[in-house]
Amino acid sequence: MSVSQILPLILLLPLIGAFINGTIGKSLSKVVVGTIATGVMAISFVLAVMAFMSVQHGEPVTVQLFTMIKTSGFSLNARLFADNLSLWMTLIVTGVGTLIHLFSMGYMKHDAGYYKFFTYLNLFIFAMLTLVLGSNYFMLFFGWEGVGICSYLLIGFWYQDFKNTLAARKAFIMNRIGDLGLLIGLFLILGKFGTLEYVEVAKAVMMEGFEISEYLIFGITICLFIGATGKSAQIPLFTWLPDAMAGPTPVSALIHAATMVTAGIFLTVRSNFLFELDGAHLTKDIMLYVGLATSIIAAIIAMRQNDIKKVLAYSTVSQLGMLFVALGMGAYTAAMFHVTTHAFFKALLFLGSGSVIHAMSDEQDIRKMGGLRKKIPITHFTFLIGTLAISGIPLLSGFYSKDEIIGHAFESHKFVYFALMFSSALTAIYMFRLYFVTFFGTFRGTHEQEHHLHEGPASMTLPLIILAVLSIFGGLLNLPGVFLHSGTHWLSHHYAFNVTGPGMELGEHGDPNTTLMLMAAAGAMAVIISIITYIVYVKRNSVPVADDQLKGLEKASAMKLYFDEIYDFLFVKPVLWLSEKGAHYFEGAFLHRGVVGLGKAIGKSGDIVRKIQTGRTDNYILWMVFGIIGLIVYYIIYYKN
Amino acid sequence: MELLLFILPVFFALSVLIVPKKGVRAYGIIGSLAVLGVVIACMMQYSNDGTVHLFADKKDWLSGITLSFGYDGISLLMLLLTAVLVPLVLVSNFKNELAENRLFTSMVFFMQLGLIGVFISMDGLWFYVFWEITLIPIFLISWWFGAPERKAALMKFFIYTFVGSLAMLAALIGIKVNAASFYIEDLKAVVFTSKAACWLALGFFLAFAIKIPIFPFHTWQPDTYTKSPMAGTMLLSGIMLKMALYGMIRWMIPLFPEAMACIQYPIIVLATIGVVYAAVIAIKQKDMKRVFAFASMSHVGLIAAAIMTWDFDALSGSMVQIINHGLVAVGLFLAVEIIERRTATRNLADLGGFAKQAPKFAFWFAVLAFASVSVPLTSGFIGEFLMLKGLVQFDMIIGIIAGTTLILGAVYTFRAYQLSMYGPVTRDQFADLHWSELIVLAIIVIAVVILGIYPAAITDFVNPSLKIVLETVSTPSGL
Repeated sequence: MSVSQILPLILLLPLIGAFINGTIGKSLSKVVVGTIATGVMAISFVLAVMAFMSVQHGEPVTVQLFTMIKTSGFSLNARLFADNLSLWMTLIVTGVGTLIHLFSMGYMKHDAGYYKFFTYLNLFIFAMLTLVLGSNYFMLFFGWEGVGICSYLLIGFWYQDFKNTLAARKAFIMNRIGDLGLLIGLFLILGKFGTLEYVEVAKAVMMEGFEISEYLIFGITICLFIGATGKSAQIPLFTWLPDAMAGPTPVSALIHAATMVTAGIFLTVRSNFLFELDGAHLTKDIMLYVGLATSIIAAIIAMRQNDIKKVLAYSTVSQLGMLFVALGMGAYTAAMFHVTTHAFFKALLFLGSGSVIHAMSDEQDIRKMGGLRKKIPITHFTFLIGTLAISGIPLLSGFYSKDEIIGHAFESHKFVYFALMFSSALTAIYMFRLYFVTFFGTFRGTHEQEHHLHEGPASMTLPLIILAVLSIFGGLLNLPGVFLHSGTHWLSHHYAFNVTGPGMELGEHGDPNTTLMLMAAAGAMAVIISIITYIVYVKRNSVPVADDQLKGLEKASAMKLYFDEIYDFLFVKPVLWLSEKGAHYFEGAFLHRGVVGLGKAIGKSGDIVRKIQTGRTDNYILWMVFGIIGLIVYYIIYYKN
Repeated sequence: MELLLFILPVFFALSVLIVPKKGVRAYGIIGSLAVLGVVIACMMQYSNDGTVHLFADKKDWLSGITLSFGYDGISLLMLLLTAVLVPLVLVSNFKNELAENRLFTSMVFFMQLGLIGVFISMDGLWFYVFWEITLIPIFLISWWFGAPERKAALMKFFIYTFVGSLAMLAALIGIKVNAASFYIEDLKAVVFTSKAACWLALGFFLAFAIKIPIFPFHTWQPDTYTKSPMAGTMLLSGIMLKMALYGMIRWMIPLFPEAMACIQYPIIVLATIGVVYAAVIAIKQKDMKRVFAFASMSHVGLIAAAIMTWDFDALSGSMVQIINHGLVAVGLFLAVEIIERRTATRNLADLGGFAKQAPKFAFWFAVLAFASVSVPLTSGFIGEFLMLKGLVQFDMIIGIIAGTTLILGAVYTFRAYQLSMYGPVTRDQFADLHWSELIVLAIIVIAVVILGIYPAAITDFVNPSLKIVLETVSTPSGL
């Protein structure tokens, strides 16, 4: 099969899976439902690998499906585009997606909405693949909104608890704020270039004598970035992501860690030709500092969270912030590298936390866990690997990918370098805190929970093991030139090959010695932190205290730095107030009364006139006499003059 | 054959009065399907070149009033919407006692007659006559069969819209004074000073603004919607207000291109204010029907604003959205009715948990809710995309303000959906969909999704006609 035949299939398979499960899934057994959903994903993944192999060193492939709509100046096409970037994302989405589907088969086994869950999950993959495989911004937006819907459905999956549906709504609305920004960006692109196709826009940008006003390019890029802040949970639109943890844990792993939230990064990398134009510098700086602030603020909040999933959620926000720092510095390859390794270890950690929650009979508070190390060994071991990887312990994948970003910062922005080191230090602290409190010490739950403690079935442990292996060796993808003769730099070459745009240079650090020094510093820091947290949480056996006993910054951290409260005060309350008072005073009292008043005034004037119509002949004769006199008077005056 | 467009509704409106009570339901549906058949036949016959196909053309009928009836792509699309929605309204009403009522069914057909007349009149006076005819059946439907405390609201509705119509009549006469006849091309040929054109255009605008409704001429709408029986609300929001949007494209702007300079900006601003205003008000409404009434106002405000940009893409988007809104509004009001039938209340605070008891209903209602917030794969998406693009190009700020409908729409729609369907179970029992309800919801959803994937089905059909309408205006008054 040629790539142009494979591509539509990759996209269609999850849709078919969703359709089968959505229509007849209810009458099928759970095993069949799960197998169909996971099966289509696995086939999709294999096809993606095939497509990847053949496109890798060849020309990008475009597949026209159909024209959605044709207007005066432009046409919107349903068209697929396969180059190294989109296929790499496809590999992540389908690969990690398959593992998470497999995990869900065990995790959701006792849920009544089993078939519905897999329908949504497959649907999500379809939307996500539309996002990455589309050949234009329109398709991207299509998928962009699509993943938002699936995210909404899955966050509110357990809808009988109204809290969950509120979290779902919050996620959808915050995403939509970003979407509006993205949409405006699309209109601006359309206005300037007359097309939304990536290739054509890139061609136009790189043509000799291309001119664009600085304001316009700033407008376009900032709009795209606003879109990215919504989907990728950056300040100010990040507060939905921690709430999104209300969904089932595999959802958090798939959507809110590995794939959907990286859509913003994908969008930026995809549009690198725009971000490298002169006027976009300001946008890139904004991106850099917003990312940095998000990274640090989220890390601070994660320090004092006690819900195992909330810690991971803030950790995701923090890592995404770091990715935007990379993008702000123009380190696109480094960002994609970190996206990849992050997908591995964050999916691993989330699935691990799911396994813990499963074992603990739906308990999520780490203060009520402890000592799980012996009870669920596979989960423990893989979770440890995830923790080591994200904390930047040398030789694991996260170490290399994070180092690449930090290395870039060291070269260009010394301040950013130190800030990033601070953020990584925080990452290591809260991750080891989470790990030690959960798996070491004594068991602090109820007897019943202790009795139930068990490792999940093979469908749950197998994905953990595979992801753990990937988290260890993922760094090999883009090894810097220190260890082997010249490093692998595989990913850098890969991207340099056929991702269009001037920003795509090799992401190498110049000097091996500097690289080595930076790596040593980062590695040493991570190791030292792991030792300190070990002493605090294992040797001294301290357990996080209840939130109301915290003070100062600790309290603020536990309260999520009051972001929700501030937004509530600044935006939610005023809109609700406007809605309520507007309906009451403006709509009800002013407009309604105004209209009714107008009607009444007309009625009143009728009343006044009516009094003349008495129906009595003598009255009428009187009026007639007055009239005649009046006429005569008028006549006389008129003729006198 | 086109004459059947008049004959059939009249025939069914009268003959249904002598059909035995048991057969009224089926008779009504068969009749409406017959009309649908005729409309489809007309569509097949129409050579899609964008010109107006006049099937009745008698220029000297009665002192300046001509017998000119015809259609182009735009008219046919509106006819199709009418012909599709009427059977849907009748079927969704199937379970109500009202469906057995001969007078009710008769009025629905009279309504259809008026609507068809509006969309195919190419003579100003006939347009006005049919425009007024539609008011009578809808008023009677709501008056006879509405909620107990309906009378004040309906009087307000009647007077309000009637005043608007009179303004239009005055404006019509104002042009006719200088024109050979009421025939549309004759009316278009009149050239005005821009001041006169503004005043006359305002006459039309008042009629349309009230019907659409555009802020601040909307106060009749929420009350009338909530006090009318469901079928009345559906007819009002689904088709009747589309008459005004159609009127803007066919009459108001082509007749007074000179007025564009003075009316374009103010109308767009008012419509945009309405988009945001209605959306904000919808957020905290307690009555579910009121939520969707304001939602409807917000959506059509956007359509009106997009039409006024008089940009080809925006117009094409607004045609898509007109169809989309017609379908979705009917669906949403049916969803409200389904809940009201079973629980006897529409108060959101008293509802909840139905998703568990009625999964089918939950599913179809959810898709409708998504369609209402214009997500991809539903026709609203393309419509809103093109309309917002037109608005952004017209004026960045207005475009962004109108774009907030994306956000606010999600807020009120999902609030209403979640409060009613999610959360803990509140009723002992809640029956899932009756087949008549299922059919309507399914047809609407499938249509919306198909048009969402392939909106070219609509745009290819209307674009040639839109192009012609657009061109006649850019060369002032057909000179």
